[in-house]
Amino acid sequence: MPRNDSLEMGELTDTSFYILLSLVDAKHGYLIMKSIESMTDNRLSIGPASMYTSIKKLLSAGLIQLLKDEDEKRKTYVATEKGIQLLRKDVERRREMVRHAEEILKNRGV
Amino acid sequence: MEETKFIFSGGLAFSEERDMMKLSAYAKKGWALESFAPLGYKLRRSDPQNIIYSIDYQKGADDEYFEFFEAAEWKHVCSIGNEIHVFSAPEGTKPIYSDKSTEIEKYEREKKQMGKSALAFLIFTVLFILLKVMSLTGWLPRAAGIISLILGIVSLIILVFSGLPYLAYQYRLSQLRKL
Repeated sequence: MPRNDSLEMGELTDTSFYILLSLVDAKHGYLIMKSIESMTDNRLSIGPASMYTSIKKLLSAGLIQLLKDEDEKRKTYVATEKGIQLLRKDVERRREMVRHAEEILKNRGV
Repeated sequence: MEETKFIFSGGLAFSEERDMMKLSAYAKKGWALESFAPLGYKLRRSDPQNIIYSIDYQKGADDEYFEFFEAAEWKHVCSIGNEIHVFSAPEGTKPIYSDKSTEIEKYEREKKQMGKSALAFLIFTVLFILLKVMSLTGWLPRAAGIISLILGIVSLIILVFSGLPYLAYQYRLSQLRKL
């Protein structure tokens, strides 16, 4: 396994973070990319190869799951309980990062 | 007038980007990639187009895989053994990998596969050389020695053709991980 695998360290990359976030509500795979683009005002657009790799990874880590649904052609995913928990933890981690930065920058009067 | 043309690949492990740029330059001149060919690519005469090419490795790619590319306006051009896939898109389209950690995985997968075959053929090569030595010392009949030598050379060739790409991927990964 890759040495810098952040998922195994319990951290989400920006890509996984946004995929998981957009899967709090179930979505067709191809709609995830679109929803992330509109969520971030096109600042983040996930390439198709990165998307496919990330989905497979989140699936095998049990952070998202495939929904059995009527439309058998297109796959629908949703975040699992474990996925939501990790998302919460990661939001906390990111909040910390922002807090640290704000404190230091404020002290310098920037 | 010729309708198809063949161009050599520099070996995907070594010159992926150069190969893709070369294909893009040919597309501008009116030669579009049609398929893979032994040791290179087969091009077909077309209207000149401003397109870029990208390659991805994905074993057993399913409908969803190609759907993601289509949604991002990357057109599937050709594949080998449902493992190596080439896509094309208008110049300026966003790249197929948008973050480093997934791109690292692309090359990790290839490196692992090359490493496995390199290791297997390293063992075969050593084994056949041992057999050859045994025949020289008279432990094995001469005929067995000759066969071992031939098999040993064949294994060595395969070892080189998987060992060098393995090292190339290793180098590429170390470059990707630098930052």
